[in-house]
Amino acid sequence: MAGGLSGIAGSLYRHRFEYVLLLPALAVAALVVLYPIVYAVDLSLHETSFLEKGEFVGLRHYAAFFGSTAGWQVLKNSLVLVIGSTALAIPIGLGLALLLHTKIRLKAAFRMVLVLPWVISQVITALLWKWILNVQFGLARLVTDALGVLPIDFVGEFETAMPTLILVNVWRTVPFAMLLLLAALQTVPRELHEAAEIDGAGTWSRFRHVTLPLIKSTVLVVAIMLSLSYFNHVDLPLILTGGGPLGETRILALAAYEEAFVLNKMGYGSAIAVVVFAVNILLSLVYMRLLRTERHV
Amino acid sequence: MSSANRRRRWRTRVRRIAGDAMVYSILVLAGAIAVFPVLWGVVTSLKTDRAIAEFPPRWIPDPATLEHYRQVAGAMGGYVLNTGVVAGLTILATIAVAAHGAYAAARADFPLKRFLLFVILATMMIPGVAVLVPLYVVASHLGLFNTYTVLVIIYSAWLIPMVLWLLRGFFETLPQELEDAAIIDGCSRLGVLYRISGPLVLPGLSASAIVVFIFVWNEFILALSMTTSEELRMVTVGVYYYITAYGIEWGKLMAAVCLALLPVLFVFVVLQKGFIQGMTSGATRG
Repeated sequence: MAGGLSGIAGSLYRHRFEYVLLLPALAVAALVVLYPIVYAVDLSLHETSFLEKGEFVGLRHYAAFFGSTAGWQVLKNSLVLVIGSTALAIPIGLGLALLLHTKIRLKAAFRMVLVLPWVISQVITALLWKWILNVQFGLARLVTDALGVLPIDFVGEFETAMPTLILVNVWRTVPFAMLLLLAALQTVPRELHEAAEIDGAGTWSRFRHVTLPLIKSTVLVVAIMLSLSYFNHVDLPLILTGGGPLGETRILALAAYEEAFVLNKMGYGSAIAVVVFAVNILLSLVYMRLLRTERHV
Repeated sequence: MSSANRRRRWRTRVRRIAGDAMVYSILVLAGAIAVFPVLWGVVTSLKTDRAIAEFPPRWIPDPATLEHYRQVAGAMGGYVLNTGVVAGLTILATIAVAAHGAYAAARADFPLKRFLLFVILATMMIPGVAVLVPLYVVASHLGLFNTYTVLVIIYSAWLIPMVLWLLRGFFETLPQELEDAAIIDGCSRLGVLYRISGPLVLPGLSASAIVVFIFVWNEFILALSMTTSEELRMVTVGVYYYITAYGIEWGKLMAAVCLALLPVLFVFVVLQKGFIQGMTSGATRG
């Protein structure tokens, strides 16, 4: 036992150089990310008044959240946003990646132009689209006028707010899916396609039976990465729709921010933040499982 | 026989041309959708207030004016400076911490290495919005609320795992023999990192700097909740505040938006390869 301990101490000492180099990164991770998440859990179990922690209330904040229709509405909104956006971004991204993967001229130029929306921050994205969708002077009114209907406040009306948020979201994130899927397509060996073509497989069947199985894991990885980013973002919904109308686009991350920073309910806000965190851990575990199986294949 | 052959060849050629035409038209359409909102923002920023309130709108600003840019230049200049300072300090802090860790992770196998790396990388899975409240409370108690310091510390903490991962890949490509030779020549191990290996991963360091810069430049929600005074305002927050309770002045807003876009677009166009590499590696943080 003593020998084992001194063995460990010895190997720690032998590698002191590496530990010292790694220490700052570890310390920062522990103090600025891990400690706060523990603190968030702690806050979520207490009553708070502004910055001060009050009495212990156990799971009361969680019960309040999951026990209210508003809470379930927020969860449903997140689900609709995540699924809707992912279901659009992946096929569009894959379609564009397939087109960029063919023998075309100006490939680099097309790629650069198509990647552009992804460079733009959520804040700027929201503002640019807010102007286009402006009910009085926005270009969207050209469309509604041409269709002969009354101008629609796309971000402010019940039926259109969520679809609009999803479409703007998709506009900004399709390039990400496109780039990663393009990289995956480039790893598919050309010989496989040539062999399938000689065997008389058409374009669709080559895609279906040669390309798709080989990029399937990348598609799943991209889907999870996008889902996480849609689930966590606050900027875009906050500025584009403000969660409205009547909470129709209030997603979980936005609720966590608003309860804490707008309504000053730090304890309740923390409880929602912890729910956000839990969903992230869950999706991340799925993600890691996928990466692991991918490595085995 | 030969005429049937010729006809078949002709038919495949027609089909190929039609296919190409379709590919190009879809790409052009998608490209138009991608750039149009930005172009429309630029066009709007160059119009007079009267022209902005015109419907149907004109596609070309006539008369074109830089009036809105003149109006926002002063305030935006300050925000750009603030963001530049915070981004610069964050780049230095992030790379200093991450490069040392990355070197250790790339160069040696030691007990607990996998575990320690996992702990560091796992923090990437914690979204910013989940720790916003505790960070705000702690920063307030420490007297760091409404300072650059707190932004630099938190941004660095969020970016270090990703940059560490990025740089580890770069260090791993360096041949061990080079370092062994330097050690034999009497160089210390830290000396090897600073004088031999460090300079060789310069492309990795610049890719990291790009990633950090873009992240800080685009970040919004932490800057919004951690700073209140106008002297400390970051670009995204400054642009956001052009939406006021009294309504939106679209001309000024679009001018501010265009100014905020400029550095990012510059970096994107000039350094495209490093940019895409960095952005895809850092895509997990929301």
